[in-house]
Amino acid sequence: MALLWTVVSVSFSIIITPFLMFLLAIIFLASIGKSLGVRRLYVKILLKIFEYGRQHIEIAKKDQRREMVTGSSCEGDGDADADATEDERAAAAASTAAAVERAAGAEAGADAGAGDAAHAPATRRPSPGGGAKAPACNGSAGALLPNGALPNSLSVISREDLILSPVPSLNSANGAAKEGLPRSRSFETLKREFELADCLEFVKAGVEAIIEDEVTLRFEAEELKSWNLLTRTNSWYEFISWRLTVIWVLGFLVRYCFLLPLRVLICFIGVMWLTFCTGIVGYVPEGQFKRWLNYRVNIMCFGILSSALSSVITYHNPENRPKNGICVANHTSPIDVLVLACDNCYALIGQRHGGFLGVLQRALARASPHIWFERSEVKDREAVAKRLRQHVSDPKNPPILIFPEGTCINNTSVMQFKKGSFEVGGVIYPVAIKYDPKFGDAFWNSSRFSMMQYLYMMMTSWAIVCDVWYLPPMYQKEGETAIDFANRVKSCIARQGGLVDLMWDGQLKRMKAKKEWKEAQQEEYSKRLKLE
Amino acid sequence: MGNRSSLLLREEEIAQIQEETGFTPNQIERLYSRFTSLDRGDCGTLSREDFLRIPELAINPLGDRIVHAFFEEGCGDRVNFLQFMQVLAHFRPIKKGRDNKLNSREQKLKFAFKMYDLDNDEKISRDELLAILHMMVGANISEEQLTSIAERTILEADQNGDQMISFEEFCKALERTDVEQKMSIRFLN
Repeated sequence: MALLWTVVSVSFSIIITPFLMFLLAIIFLASIGKSLGVRRLYVKILLKIFEYGRQHIEIAKKDQRREMVTGSSCEGDGDADADATEDERAAAAASTAAAVERAAGAEAGADAGAGDAAHAPATRRPSPGGGAKAPACNGSAGALLPNGALPNSLSVISREDLILSPVPSLNSANGAAKEGLPRSRSFETLKREFELADCLEFVKAGVEAIIEDEVTLRFEAEELKSWNLLTRTNSWYEFISWRLTVIWVLGFLVRYCFLLPLRVLICFIGVMWLTFCTGIVGYVPEGQFKRWLNYRVNIMCFGILSSALSSVITYHNPENRPKNGICVANHTSPIDVLVLACDNCYALIGQRHGGFLGVLQRALARASPHIWFERSEVKDREAVAKRLRQHVSDPKNPPILIFPEGTCINNTSVMQFKKGSFEVGGVIYPVAIKYDPKFGDAFWNSSRFSMMQYLYMMMTSWAIVCDVWYLPPMYQKEGETAIDFANRVKSCIARQGGLVDLMWDGQLKRMKAKKEWKEAQQEEYSKRLKLE
Repeated sequence: MGNRSSLLLREEEIAQIQEETGFTPNQIERLYSRFTSLDRGDCGTLSREDFLRIPELAINPLGDRIVHAFFEEGCGDRVNFLQFMQVLAHFRPIKKGRDNKLNSREQKLKFAFKMYDLDNDEKISRDELLAILHMMVGANISEEQLTSIAERTILEADQNGDQMISFEEFCKALERTDVEQKMSIRFLN
């Protein structure tokens, strides 16, 4: 018994000292803004592992299918314009991509211990189901989006006819609504008498929407084309191979037993340090020095916090970095703030929260001018707009960071921008943020996970890898309404980030569709009817 | 993680659905994913609210009628996956030489007919037609004009003079319409 105790304490002290040194080194490096490049190396290694895993799953799947006696290797009508080459490469991996045996799954449940409610709902996400197609069925490759990303090729149907949109002039026949491209003039003036067949168009559009619609999937975590070795991204407990299970178990151990405690510690220290530093800055008298100090302190503290998530962020076009004015970005999670604040000092605007976020909010408010308001005040647009204008009018104030969508979207699309921040006037700096979902899904599904559950999931992901593009500043044109300006900025961000540009309101996450939209559709149809 | 297993599809179920509807196993799995994601309460069936939560369907003028088509009378207020698939099967494209049980031209026309036939008496009356017109145009066209449109439509389609459109008359009226194209959805793989 005493021997066991000695062994334990010795091994503990052997492990703990380097651990603490390691921790100190990370924090020190983060605070001076330098990096050993360890995280990038880690991400590269992970990529290789994922690639290996994917190929492996594909091979295993092909073998499985060959064994099964199925005649339908390739449906004749499967002349899919879905990206079949991409499908080929990633497909079988995608379909029921799971290498987790039930035993391993139970292991996850047991080890994750108390409060692992996060996993149960997380595994509910549907897994991509594109099957492995026989090589004869190669379709054409899907078009690449401007920044090289492939559009989501996990669709069940291809929508070629009517797709309804809240702004009926943008009802379109092909994918996302085309900005500023109303239906062709000749169609508008061509009125027809009512026919019994008129309803068919609406019926088909409705049933297509039931099978697949543009909006509801934006409020769920993004589907991955191939498995990234996390239990939460597959829902089919199908056993593929021993090798993959071993890799998964190793990954599990690394994430939970090494990375998680490390990250929690760093996070804790980071928050303490932030509170401490901003407290000190708060005592400095107003002036140039305070602003400079605030800038340095912000970047340092957020740098430490970002290493708590193992984030690897690439900033593009730093010459467009905002210096004042208003900065708008697409919103995926509270981590967006962290991601942007590692490179620049922002003033924040938002609702006053309680709990963990509230602590941070109060800490930050001491050192520099942020705008936090009560929920009840949110409805009072005038008051908020006034404070915004005050802030922006002083060029010495740091740029104010606003997320015009008003809610978290899953980083595959950009939804309607609220016009409030575009009415203030002044210069707008758009920023596009795109996370790489392979390493960890940054989307915060607030209706499903609480903040703590979400942070827990973040800290047990592989890493947070994202790209930030600073876009050139934009100004409201003469005679352009705030709504048009907002849409212009939105499409700019969507194009840069490779996101789908949607006209729908992000509040649909919680609210029902407005009656006015249906009435607008009815009006649109009635315009096409020739009356006697 | 406890009750996840009850939500997974079993092989026999997939085979049964494939037999009845003609969808491939892959398509069935994808559609099952969709079904479960619409099923907020995790109870294995969908209610009308679950359907109408889809914004594109909620703003569709005929949204309510489409949702209604999923709920056969007497089967209560909820739709299970088999019923869901049976309705969707109507929209599969017609393939020559393949068994088209649920997606033949006649089946598609029957589905369209049910959109108009509000009380399910196998006939479209003038009032039913008027009700559908109201749904489609809202308040933008006056009552008199709508009535005259309805009467004209019935006059053109009615052949046996009973002032109502039966299913045969409906089919005849849509003879020259490309029902196959308008009522088929392009499914992938």
